[in-house]
Amino acid sequence: MIATWYVIVSFMLIVYVALDGRNFGAGMLHRLIARTPEERRQVIAAIGPLWSWHEVWLVGFGGTLVAVFPHLMASAFAGYYLALFLILWGLILRGISLEVGGHINDRLWQGFWDSVFVFSNFLLAILFGAAAGNLARGVPLDAHGNFSMAFFTDFRVRGHVGLLDWYTVSTAVFAAVMLAAHGATYLTLKTEGPVHDRSARWAKCLWAAVAPLFLAISIESWVVRPDLPGHAIYNPFCWLGLLVVIISTCTLISGLSARREMRAFVGSNFLLVGLLATGGAAIFPVMLYSTLAPENSLTAYAVASSRSALLLASVWWPVGFALATVYFVFISRRYAGKVSVKRDTQGFY
Amino acid sequence: MNSNLSDPAFWSRFQFGFTLTYHYLFPQLTMGLAWFLVYWKWRALRTGDEKYNQAVRFWTKIFGLNFAVGVVTGIPMEFQFGTNWADFSRYAGGVIGQTLAMEGMFAFFLESAFVGALIWGEKRLGPRYHFLAAVAVALGSWVSGYFILVTNAFMQHPVGYRIEADGLLGIASLRAYLLNPWAWVQFAHNQMAALVTGSFVVTAVGAFYTLRRLHSSQSQLYLRAGTLVALMASVLVAFPTGDQQAKMVGNHQPVTLAAMEGRFVGGPRAGVAVIGQPNIAARRLDNPIEVPGALSFLAYGTFQSYVNGLDEYPEDTWPDNIELLYYSFHLMITLGTIFVALMAYASFQNWRGRLKSSTWLLWVLMLAFPLPYIANTLGWMTAELGRQPWLIYGLFHTRDGYSKVVSNGDTIFTLMGFTGLYFVLGLLFLFLFGREIGHGPDEEGVVGRGDEGGVSSRREEQFV
Repeated sequence: MIATWYVIVSFMLIVYVALDGRNFGAGMLHRLIARTPEERRQVIAAIGPLWSWHEVWLVGFGGTLVAVFPHLMASAFAGYYLALFLILWGLILRGISLEVGGHINDRLWQGFWDSVFVFSNFLLAILFGAAAGNLARGVPLDAHGNFSMAFFTDFRVRGHVGLLDWYTVSTAVFAAVMLAAHGATYLTLKTEGPVHDRSARWAKCLWAAVAPLFLAISIESWVVRPDLPGHAIYNPFCWLGLLVVIISTCTLISGLSARREMRAFVGSNFLLVGLLATGGAAIFPVMLYSTLAPENSLTAYAVASSRSALLLASVWWPVGFALATVYFVFISRRYAGKVSVKRDTQGFY
Repeated sequence: MNSNLSDPAFWSRFQFGFTLTYHYLFPQLTMGLAWFLVYWKWRALRTGDEKYNQAVRFWTKIFGLNFAVGVVTGIPMEFQFGTNWADFSRYAGGVIGQTLAMEGMFAFFLESAFVGALIWGEKRLGPRYHFLAAVAVALGSWVSGYFILVTNAFMQHPVGYRIEADGLLGIASLRAYLLNPWAWVQFAHNQMAALVTGSFVVTAVGAFYTLRRLHSSQSQLYLRAGTLVALMASVLVAFPTGDQQAKMVGNHQPVTLAAMEGRFVGGPRAGVAVIGQPNIAARRLDNPIEVPGALSFLAYGTFQSYVNGLDEYPEDTWPDNIELLYYSFHLMITLGTIFVALMAYASFQNWRGRLKSSTWLLWVLMLAFPLPYIANTLGWMTAELGRQPWLIYGLFHTRDGYSKVVSNGDTIFTLMGFTGLYFVLGLLFLFLFGREIGHGPDEEGVVGRGDEGGVSSRREEQFV
């Protein structure tokens, strides 16, 4: 049961990354892809109506984490203190810049909020990338399951590590490039005209850059955690994740080259899902790895709630998830197709 | 509150209190305004009268701005359970985690999936789906309020739990936990208070336009709906919900009731102090003016009833800031009384058709809109200061709940960050809120803004 909950919680986080990742990506490229005020409104209209729906998956993930893995929440959130607050501030800036930018139709005002938007999305992509790197590398957990981490210490990956070191910096860069590629693929699907053409070009370049970076990250991960691959090959979910990665890569490449935008975007989503799922399966059952002593690591079994709490959650969670799926279908149908500034902004953007 | 400024519990409490108080300025308007949108959208569907759609279009802009600030300031709240209150999350996560997660799964998903459709989607969705989006958002916001109040009610009056083998809390009965009587009373009281905020804001905008002689058909709509809802909600917030809430406190947290009333010595025929300053060192209320017997009657039903005083409880179970608790409670009551009187008179004048010509009354209604925000905040301060020194009443002390690994330096750093960010956010919100009010509802076109000409070009002229 604990393993199932591990899958569910990871799934919610992965869905969040796939959904909000497109906004981070589109946001980072915003000023490059859209050059005139009208083009910028087009990008915003592609993100606008749905950003809070995407962001709420993070809230759903947080709530579920407290319910089923309260000790992990307690250790990790207190330990990642400063990094988490930076993420929260980034989310505040991102949401606000998206929301208030359109309220005044003025070049200075909109230009300012567009820049805040780009900056906050960069910050978020990098922080989430570094966070993923931290999950793989581990954190300085003591024997009581607590840690407290500085932003950086000596940039090495063992012992008293900081949030940033050579490995997590490279995962952060990788995440930023990959999410930008994901966002460009999304914009290709949702826009028309010059924004569409530029997005398509960016998508190709960025996906081409993802390939060598991915290779580099894989080698680095092997150096940082040599124990992982040997452990992962016995986990069928890792192989399943890899299969998803391979199929979605093919889908993405064929979509990009055949200009089938929907196919490319589906591929791009599943590529993200596959990569994160493979990673999640590879580290299981350890949820927080200790860089000080492996025996301090926190496993899913050690941080889970009581059996009765997990059983209770198994009763209502599927209901909530089924409802969320219904909303998802409704939204996808209503917001299918290209955005049109006239129809989708009600004079807002 | 512990006044020792090097105490980490103080800084974690201060940060949580500050970010939560600030956050809650926005959801109270969301929850209040949502039903106005539903009502007007429904009237538009039924009557086909375009003025209702204009009202919805105007208020959704304000709603959207308010909602966005509510979302972004709300996310830090959930995360602070882990960052600053790790030991509390460890101890009670098995219980409170359930409702925090349910809030996300059942309420936030519903609310956020449809809020975009409500705000941007009138043309994409068509009238019927647009109405349903308004209903979904209103429902979602109230359901989310319920789940968070169940969580709070557990901290005020824990029920349905058991202590597991490892000494941590688990759920013994989900039913008892979700149907906590405290949660029902608090929910009713709190939601009525949110309606008071929403209706006061609608009324104030109506009063402003009437005074400016602008948008006359719209302002009539706002004044009529606003004053009526405000009267009903102001009455309901006091009776029966507020009354029940006070009785609940009297029954389950008698020491809190004594502190709220500044009652240092117990006895029968307890009075309610109208004015008076608690003097903790001397154990008395200075300069009291009391209504004799009123507290006995309100709390226990007869004027003779015995009401406990603080002297009957050990000092370490007293709420740790009695003065602030006392003032919060009394000011809230005073404001609540003013609301009923003001809105009763305004509704009466409106019924006689004299409201729109009564300049002084319109001025009062326009300037009154901050008061419900203050009253809501004071209500929450009463609830949360009154719960001290417990984090979960009778089970778990506040001083045991904060994250031991987080240094004061980190907490003060993030507190400063929030202060700065929220200050800018507040300025921005007020500026844009004022601008939308200044711009007013569009009455010229059926399709409204967003099409060629019309508003956008008019707006550009102001700036180019």
